[in-house]
Amino acid sequence: MSEAAIRFTQVRASLAGSPSHLQLDLQIEAGQFVVLVGPSRSGKSLAIEMAAGLVPPQSGKVMVLGQDWNAVEGADDGPVRLRVGTVLQQPGLLSNMTLFNNVLLPLRYHCGAMSDGEREQAVMAQLEPLGLLSLRDRFPAELHQGEIRRGAIARSLMLEPEVLLLDDPVAGLDADMVLVLKQYVDARRQQRPLTVVAALRSFSPFIEGADRLVVLQEGRVVADGSLESVGSTVPSALRRYVE
Amino acid sequence: MLPYNFAVTQGVEALAGSWLLLSGGGGAHLMIEWVGRKTIAGYAYLAALATLFIQAVLDLLSPGRQGRRETLRVLTRQILFTGVDALPVTSVIALLLGIIIVTQAGTQLPRLGAGGLVGSIIVITVIRELGPLITAFIVVGRSGTAIATELGNMSVTREVVALRLMGIPISQFVIMPRMVGMVLSMLCLTFYFDVVAVFGGYLVADAQLTIPFSAFVESVTRALSTTDLLMTAIKGFGFGSAVAAVCCYHGLAVRSSYTEVPQQTTRAMINSFVLCLLVDVVVTVPLYL
Repeated sequence: MSEAAIRFTQVRASLAGSPSHLQLDLQIEAGQFVVLVGPSRSGKSLAIEMAAGLVPPQSGKVMVLGQDWNAVEGADDGPVRLRVGTVLQQPGLLSNMTLFNNVLLPLRYHCGAMSDGEREQAVMAQLEPLGLLSLRDRFPAELHQGEIRRGAIARSLMLEPEVLLLDDPVAGLDADMVLVLKQYVDARRQQRPLTVVAALRSFSPFIEGADRLVVLQEGRVVADGSLESVGSTVPSALRRYVE
Repeated sequence: MLPYNFAVTQGVEALAGSWLLLSGGGGAHLMIEWVGRKTIAGYAYLAALATLFIQAVLDLLSPGRQGRRETLRVLTRQILFTGVDALPVTSVIALLLGIIIVTQAGTQLPRLGAGGLVGSIIVITVIRELGPLITAFIVVGRSGTAIATELGNMSVTREVVALRLMGIPISQFVIMPRMVGMVLSMLCLTFYFDVVAVFGGYLVADAQLTIPFSAFVESVTRALSTTDLLMTAIKGFGFGSAVAAVCCYHGLAVRSSYTEVPQQTTRAMINSFVLCLLVDVVVTVPLYL
């Protein structure tokens, strides 16, 4: 069995806007594509934020690539941080930069030795498959929600992370673009090992590429397994999330 | 570190709150408690600003190996916006102030038999006091509020979090270049303001009071000492640091709502004015003791 990329060990955290608590004991193997699915306020986004080291658990431990987020603080989390790409519900493209410069920023900041030509080539290689090439010189305020999200996903993959955390990656995307995004993630996973954890609030074709589905309800895992196996074990009230 | 700043403020405020709860009722009692609580919160606020400033100095002295060019780019933009772009408005205000002061001094002083003190008046009022202070007010109004608004919006749209997720330290990429840019711009603008204001004074001295250029320059240089220049520099540095720290602090204090942005920007502006005057008192008063 391969090494766990992400491990939630007896994690407990309060869910904002809900009396329930997130209780998670989950291990995600390196290279797996895992989708967390469930209704709003079930703890999907919180799990993503904890895996990204943004929110500490009230108890328990969150390990990502062998690193306990509780053991690192602030700026010291740099080396681990660069191995994890994250896109939250609010993607956070910098509003004073064009899409091109936004996607370029991680390279410009962390890879000073690269030539400008190499960097431009790297950015174009990210924008092209996501259908963003013609929008490269637009500012975030001039983009649609789905375009912003795709731009943020491209940016999060610029440093070739080992783990990709996506919170609601299909929000604002039309049906075609969901398939484009799915193909893009699949292609990236074929190129090099990439663990993908995505949180979704409804069924989407994006789920079909997942190795594993974890269904959450009120902070608890109610079903866990492949798309086929989860379909038969998930409570009937949640069946529409996986079918 | 930035989270530490907020932790300090919140921690001390919580401590003060607990003290309030423990100590019980009574009108006067409550009043004293309120004053105590506000005082403690004030000290905590100043401590948070100092921490922000010290972190910026540390980031400046020991920049990380990565991101130097990007940080320099942000710094350059800040200097252009705060310093270079402010030159026209600074010129107009400085020129008008110089004209007003020399007009007043030139018409009032001769009545008291002190017509030869025009140079001293220019040095004392403009170079020592009004120059640095009005420059600081211009910078607060133009750039301080812009920084607070920009950082506030960045916080709401989670751009600040996105930077952190990209492994880009906020203190190094966002705060330090804005602080350094503002301090350098404030220093240069202050001296520029003084020069233009003195020139404005000369225009009046020449046209209205018929004081020739050489006599005016001699009068000003005679009144001007190294201490005046040093004080101007210290004030420029102090005001720049204070304004930058206050505006960055309030911008990053915005949490989740756009309505917090104007609230924090207003606080940043008012607190910047108060802190500049406080720094002015701390720097000026010992000189006359």
